Amino acid sequence: MLNKLLFRNQDKKQLFIAMTGAFLGMTFLITSIHYLIKVNEFGKGADILGPNTIIVQKKVSNSSSLNLTKTDFSVREIDKIKKEPFIEDAQPVISNNFDVSFETADPMVPRFRTDVFIQTVDPKFLDVKSSKWHWKEGNEYVPIIMPREFLVMLNTFMSASGIPQISDDLAMDVKFKFKLKDDTKNEYVDARIIGFTNEVSSILVPQSFMEYGNGKYTSDREKKITQLMISGKESEFGKVEELLKTKGLESKNSQMLVGRLKSVVGTLFLVVLGISVIAVFVSGLVLIQYMQLLMSRNAYEVRTLMRIGYHPKKVIGSFFNYFLKVFGWICTIAIAAFVILKYFLDDLFETGGLYIGTEISLVAMGALGFTFVLFAISSYFTAKKGIFNEF
Amino acid sequence: MNLNIEKSNKSEFGTILEKSEPKSRPMKIIFDKVMPHPLSSIQHGANSIWGNHAEFSKGEKILLNASSGKGKSTFTFSAVGLRSDYEGEITYNGEDIRSFDADRWTEIRARHLSVVFQDLQLFPELTVAENLTLKNDLTGTFSDSELKDMLLYLDIQSKWDQKCRFLSMGQQQRVAIIRALCQPFDLLIMDEPFSHLDVENTNKCLELIDQRCDALQAGFVLTTLGEDHGFNYSKTLFL
Repeated sequence: MLNKLLFRNQDKKQLFIAMTGAFLGMTFLITSIHYLIKVNEFGKGADILGPNTIIVQKKVSNSSSLNLTKTDFSVREIDKIKKEPFIEDAQPVISNNFDVSFETADPMVPRFRTDVFIQTVDPKFLDVKSSKWHWKEGNEYVPIIMPREFLVMLNTFMSASGIPQISDDLAMDVKFKFKLKDDTKNEYVDARIIGFTNEVSSILVPQSFMEYGNGKYTSDREKKITQLMISGKESEFGKVEELLKTKGLESKNSQMLVGRLKSVVGTLFLVVLGISVIAVFVSGLVLIQYMQLLMSRNAYEVRTLMRIGYHPKKVIGSFFNYFLKVFGWICTIAIAAFVILKYFLDDLFETGGLYIGTEISLVAMGALGFTFVLFAISSYFTAKKGIFNEF
Repeated sequence: MNLNIEKSNKSEFGTILEKSEPKSRPMKIIFDKVMPHPLSSIQHGANSIWGNHAEFSKGEKILLNASSGKGKSTFTFSAVGLRSDYEGEITYNGEDIRSFDADRWTEIRARHLSVVFQDLQLFPELTVAENLTLKNDLTGTFSDSELKDMLLYLDIQSKWDQKCRFLSMGQQQRVAIIRALCQPFDLLIMDEPFSHLDVENTNKCLELIDQRCDALQAGFVLTTLGEDHGFNYSKTLFL
């Protein structure tokens, strides 16, 4: 009865416009937050290197081949890169200055030996526990991170030898050893794979092992920094790319591609998120204004109800509950629209080669909940102010 | 059902009107040197309640006489806390009503003080039934059939399902009076409630009100332009 009295004087057209605006805003809000999170999560955990991390080197040109230009980085150059606002960190990739070979040392696996190139990077670029990524003289084995191409090569070798191929997990159980040598001496050190990377083409070892090898077996060759590991800030990969272009640096294509893709898609969703926030805010305001309009159109009814003994709280409750239901419906329809949109967008991303997580982001749902609570609070206070004005 | 109720023969209708609730202490309203700001420039008689001391106790049936513009509606609105632009003090059982909050006023308006406003304050877009039910639901005082009996007594039972805006002023006044009776009260304040009624309907309304007040051991204040409608009041006051 109370609702019949208070919600008779409705301007359905205005309510419909406000609801449509809020629905679109909410749908794009949760969609953009969901995909912003999913795109940023893309690549995390898949590689032992951080998601926005790349290894760069100077482009080798004809002039550098003729020793006319340098291909190594000076300390000043590294510092300059570090100071760029979109660079999280930049550290030299240190390579071996001694001869080293790598071979299998497991009776279960046929003997396989090759000269290798080993490198070490600052541990903060690696997604490994520091307790695992540690070596000191006398330890049972050296932990190593292996380029995935190496496993492909090993499996090709296994296959050719008529032995079953091995998986990532199995490869981590296989015993390997390094042979460190110079002209006068050599030494074997056991090694164990603790992870794989698609981004580095050499075997990564802990810094302490590199220092040990370089100290004990180093040749007279000059120690040069030819590669840098750079991590860019989220969604600013475009600027990193620009820097590489300006400074004549290059990186592995796949690394660049993922970074670029994440940056572009992330920026796109950030723009959509910005527009959605504005849309939700504006439509929320329109709904609140609609509530005020409804209260002013029903000022006589509201006043009379309180004069005949209705408590202001009861009248406030009627308006509050009504608009809570309206916004609840908007949120429910927005979730349904998001699920349908997600079905198509996930498919679109998959077709485009971006295999992002398909589970619904809790943060996006949290944002929806937060917006609902925010609307509930504002509508309660609007109703309270409007009703008590008539008391 | 044609109810021709006489003072001495009210048992048939009395069962409905005698519905009452346990009461707290009797309500006493005091107007102490009250002078509404808009009326302060007008000359008031020596016996006017404006600027003097006046008491309205539970159980008293009071006629409040005044000519036009002397503040009958101002009295009603001030007594029920709808305006406070006056000098002096209005108290309910010794408490200044200006100190009452929303909770207190709601309790008073729903259970202690009922009002028939001069402009009736009905909801024109709701039916007679809805107007009465909206009020009656607050305290569950009457059943639908009891409401219909009262409408029948006042010759407007056929209007049960009609929107109030389609009723004549006289019919609307009768609906407003019944609505005011749909709650427990200590005092019923009526602001020219019979202005559009003929003598017969006025008498019926007054009879209904009187019986309801007796059943509740309540009183009323009836403001008029001078007519006493032949009723035997406890006292007569002036504005």
